[in-house]
Amino acid sequence: MPGPDILAATEQILSAFTPERPNLIPILQAVQGKLGYLPRSAMQAIAGYLRIAPVDVYGVVTFYNQFRLNPPGKHSVKVCLGTACHMKGGYIALDAWQRRLGISPRQTTPDREFDLDTVACVGCCTMAPVTVVDGKPEARVDPTRVDGILLSFGREPPAKDQK
Amino acid sequence: MKTVTLTIDGKVIKARAGEKLLWAALENGIYIPNLCAIREREEPDASCRLCWVEVEGQSDPVPACAIGVQEGMAVSTKGEKALALARAAFELLMASHALDCAHCQANGRCELQKIAKVLKCSLKPKRLRLLLRDLPVDDSSPLFSYDPNKCVLCGRCVWECRKHREKAIMGFAHRGFERRLTTFADEPIGADRCLDCSECVKVCPTGALTLK
Amino acid sequence: MNPINPAPAFRELRDKAGAKLRRLKDGKTVIMVGAATCGRAAGALDVLRAFRDEVKKHNLDCPVIEVGCLGHCYAEPLVIIGKPGWPPVAYGYVNPVIAERLVNEFILGDNPCPEFVLAALAPNDLLPSFQDFPRARYERKIILQNCGLIDPSDINDSIANGGYSALAKALALPPQKIIAEIQKSGLRGRGGAGFPAGQKWQACRDAQGTPKYLICNADEGDPGAFVDRALLESDPHGIIEGMLIAGYAAGADRGYIYVRAEYPLAVERLQIALRQAEDYHLIGSHILGTDYSLEITLFQGSGAFVCGEETALIASLAGQPGLPRYRPPYPAVKGLFGQPTVVNNVKTLAYVPRIMANGADWFRGIGAADSPGTAVFALAGKIVNTGMVEVPMGTTLRRIIYDVGSGIPKGKKFKAVQIGGPSGGCLPESALDLPVDFDSLQNAGAIMGSGGMVVCDEDDCMVEMARYFLEFTRRESCGKCTFCRLGTRQMLEILTDFTLGQGKLADLAILEKLAGEVGAGSLCALGRTAPNPILTTLRYFRNEYEEHITLGRCPALMCRHLIAYYILPDKCERSCDACVGACTVEAISPDKKRIKVIDPEKCVKCGTCLPACPPQYNAIVKLSPPSEVPCK
Repeated sequence: MPGPDILAATEQILSAFTPERPNLIPILQAVQGKLGYLPRSAMQAIAGYLRIAPVDVYGVVTFYNQFRLNPPGKHSVKVCLGTACHMKGGYIALDAWQRRLGISPRQTTPDREFDLDTVACVGCCTMAPVTVVDGKPEARVDPTRVDGILLSFGREPPAKDQK
Repeated sequence: MKTVTLTIDGKVIKARAGEKLLWAALENGIYIPNLCAIREREEPDASCRLCWVEVEGQSDPVPACAIGVQEGMAVSTKGEKALALARAAFELLMASHALDCAHCQANGRCELQKIAKVLKCSLKPKRLRLLLRDLPVDDSSPLFSYDPNKCVLCGRCVWECRKHREKAIMGFAHRGFERRLTTFADEPIGADRCLDCSECVKVCPTGALTLK
Repeated sequence: MNPINPAPAFRELRDKAGAKLRRLKDGKTVIMVGAATCGRAAGALDVLRAFRDEVKKHNLDCPVIEVGCLGHCYAEPLVIIGKPGWPPVAYGYVNPVIAERLVNEFILGDNPCPEFVLAALAPNDLLPSFQDFPRARYERKIILQNCGLIDPSDINDSIANGGYSALAKALALPPQKIIAEIQKSGLRGRGGAGFPAGQKWQACRDAQGTPKYLICNADEGDPGAFVDRALLESDPHGIIEGMLIAGYAAGADRGYIYVRAEYPLAVERLQIALRQAEDYHLIGSHILGTDYSLEITLFQGSGAFVCGEETALIASLAGQPGLPRYRPPYPAVKGLFGQPTVVNNVKTLAYVPRIMANGADWFRGIGAADSPGTAVFALAGKIVNTGMVEVPMGTTLRRIIYDVGSGIPKGKKFKAVQIGGPSGGCLPESALDLPVDFDSLQNAGAIMGSGGMVVCDEDDCMVEMARYFLEFTRRESCGKCTFCRLGTRQMLEILTDFTLGQGKLADLAILEKLAGEVGAGSLCALGRTAPNPILTTLRYFRNEYEEHITLGRCPALMCRHLIAYYILPDKCERSCDACVGACTVEAISPDKKRIKVIDPEKCVKCGTCLPACPPQYNAIVKLSPPSEVPCK
């Protein structure tokens, strides 16, 4: 999204809030909800509106897991690393995602199709291991299921050796 | 003004009621290791975890910066438990501090050196492993340089910078082990916003912020 | 005391709700689909759609309602059908095909399809009921009473089931009397520390300054705990009612619900519930016509585990990074915006209306002397009946795991139970006869925490478990204080070396000492309890550490660097290629004799081949250390 649009969108959101520090997190959530991430110019505009130092906005943004500084991919893949998921192979699912998407957590594929991230626990421990794909929790995700989910997005797993 | 009488390491002292133990001790010439304490702060940061003391009647050591003086209080800065905690905290800090005294501008006036002496610890961690962050030194300001690898996150410079209110440029960002003193979007200090008051350099207890 | 009696206003609401509900449900068949997050993960929304389509196709006058979690999460998606003339019946593992059959055979016909029945909700002569389950004898539902049985997005359903009646009763009393009742009940905070709730309210009431705040802490971040989520998704009005009573007693002027953004469904249901309660004048000004007013704002946490700590939560509400501060002053005296503030956990607040409705003596009569009431646990991990259970305090761990949870699946051996998440500990077999209450758990090295109970069997490595939790606390440490910021990282380094087979025995002593120091020296509870997983595993499973260090062997065959997969040549069947097809990285190929061989260079140790090998061959094994694999 080009610069002026970012500012226009940010300002529109700001106008719904009073310029008070306790509104900082709800504002950041609203801006990220709209733009998908928190561009530098948006953070500066927010700081200006709340009359706080831009570094303070940056401090809050980098503190919380929810906020991101780069535009997201089209689909979001969040691997749950809760205790139950870990014991039932959440780390194996994460490995499989990393292998198939070719990226590490908190990265986006070069074609901007997929984001890979981890989440502390989504509270679906009885369905472990869980991966949240585009907001929908997927139960019992093993490496085979990873391939199945990717297939539903039109991504073929690497071709098997021809025998 | 109401004063109270207490003893620290056997020495009887008087202090303003409501004063924190750390300041009462320092004012009376009793040094307790500390890095994050700032007199003007209303609420102590209590984050460096160095100023442990033992108060008679309490089983566990307490941070002197956070405890108010009380009439008749008996305090020891040399208790084994308190010293053990202070040493442990100091060793943790030093395990993540880029140690290079010989080439450091702060050599001789560095508070880490002073604390090591008081606590009778080595500057070099013995049992812990070195965990350095290896961040780039910021030399962009015309007045001073910032070496994040020597920073102990005491926050004194942030407190000074904060006096410029929304024009402040320094703050803490990121979280956990990655937490560091930095600027908006981690951009160079000299980029344009710094007002060059260099008050931050004056309060830095280590060689993290040094004049050019 | 309120000069205006809240009773008439409440009676009016109750009559209205009852009438609305009768119009909706009376004399009709009702389908209730459990669609909390875990139900949804298992496919509840597809089931919901299938029911709706089928009901529409046959033009039936039969409401299909989304409800919350009944606690039998192992059997999700779960559906309850109430049909006149029948006891309400719960069906487990429902899919769209079963949904279609249930409509055609049970709702249109008279066949309750016993093959899909989990249990009837009431004892009867035809079908087994939940009361016949062994767990029914040990469970005691107080705060989970309504969960999965009422429509969480309809305030009328809540009111018709007793919701807000305790509020009406409470508002007729002076606040001091409510505090006295809660203090008499012995209610302790369910967030972790078990601090008496009444005492907190009293401190806030007595503190100088207005406005005062009440915060519902719904930042349930413990990995492995999901009770707060299930409560918010299943019975949000129960929590709101608890807040209204607590706020009235503590003298609060404004309320906040701090809920994790990772719980989007809980957020959605809370938003609906708050709007409905506002429409009914149950929140806002002049509640039930009295002089009491409380606004409630929903605040979404942005993903920081440390914000479960009350001072960090307060900082976060004020627009700051979630850094805890030194206590005292406690929030009850100096909290949000420097004002007196009560912070109560979701579960704590859920008990409040029940206690007000039934009295302190009733509550004291349940559970243990110093921990009255019930304990709610999220059972997960290697246990048959995963899900949510509520048992009286004082129930033994053995009873919860074996009688309520039906034990360990696949005939495996119990190894440990992890209670209280990253702040808790791993307790061994020998601790199973401990009664579960705040104090006994603490003595054993664990904590009640937010009720996560994860069962580990023989395949779970305790060193890896400790490493996992330290990685969690290291990642979630706010970084403010020296011990937590640097100490958790130092400990993680040591533990990681152990799981890689690179540890030294001397590290064990360093780790133990450091764990003690971080526990004693950290600023907040996150850091102070972070070493618990290490200390308990060292206390109860030291031999596992030693095997990792001295033999490079992981006895549970879990640590990936210390194991290798191996196909036993004399067991492998030439004509079978199951593992070859299953392997996702093409590490398995047949040799000249068509015996399958794993290429250790390519193998990522994901374990997908293990269940793929047909049980009649059972040719694939894990070996530790990897050098156990025979050379060709």
